[in-house]
Amino acid sequence: MAVDMKMPILIVDDYKTMLRIVRNLLQKLGFSNIDEATDGADALAKLRGRQYGLVISDWNMQPMTGFELLQKVRADASLKTLPFVMVTAESKVENVVAARNAGVNNYIIKPFSAEVLKAKLKTVLGDF
Amino acid sequence: MGEQGKLDLVERLTNECISLCRSVLRSRKELDPLLDPAFRQEKLQRALNEQKTAISEMEMAVDRIMSAVEKIGEIDFSDTARAGQQVGECCDAIMEACCFQDITGQRLTHVIGTLGEVQRSLDLLAEGRHAAAPPPATNELLNGPALPGKATGQDAVDRLLAGGAK
Repeated sequence: MAVDMKMPILIVDDYKTMLRIVRNLLQKLGFSNIDEATDGADALAKLRGRQYGLVISDWNMQPMTGFELLQKVRADASLKTLPFVMVTAESKVENVVAARNAGVNNYIIKPFSAEVLKAKLKTVLGDF
Repeated sequence: MGEQGKLDLVERLTNECISLCRSVLRSRKELDPLLDPAFRQEKLQRALNEQKTAISEMEMAVDRIMSAVEKIGEIDFSDTARAGQQVGECCDAIMEACCFQDITGQRLTHVIGTLGEVQRSLDLLAEGRHAAAPPPATNELLNGPALPGKATGQDAVDRLLAGGAK
């Protein structure tokens, strides 16, 4: 099935520069419906208020981290199948394993290239 | 000086010595957190390494941005289609390079945290107050960006996600 390029995507990061970078890269890939949140709690409220097709989240944020957001998403019956990609500088094995066990769909290490983002999104969403 | 005068002098000097010893012991206690090998060898050393790495990453990012801008200046705009593609590639390179702000921001947050601990101990020492218990450790999975040579690469992460070993 073709990827809906107009599906709402939520990007979550406490650094405004990162939000701009990811938003710009997604737009270059053809996605046009992009929303932003600046921490896990903000993101969770948005996820419960609108139907998104993908979440791209940082890990290290306060008051709710991206990992806690992932756990809450997977524990929520209405969100548990939502594709969730972690984009983070947290590159320790224990972080990756914890995210995998919590049900993350993909894990991108910062700094990343546009090419890596595209490849990982294709893995999660299918070809576009 | 009479016998009583000598005794008074000895008593005064003894009290001063005791007071001095107490002051030294108290100072030592205030400085204990900073003298702890774990603080000096791990936190302080890591802060120094984070600072150096952040400076190096900023230099690399500026170099990438400047190179992309210079490349834009060299584009032959008579071929508009090709020029458009080349400008787009340069814009991608600039955006990718701007990731440094997030990474260096996290590194400098570590440095600020360590400096904060040093400042707290010095403040307590200056004010003659006793050190409070250190704040509880935060989420152990919040490590921040790895230092050079210690990072797990994207390929290794991909293997871990697929369920394999590093």
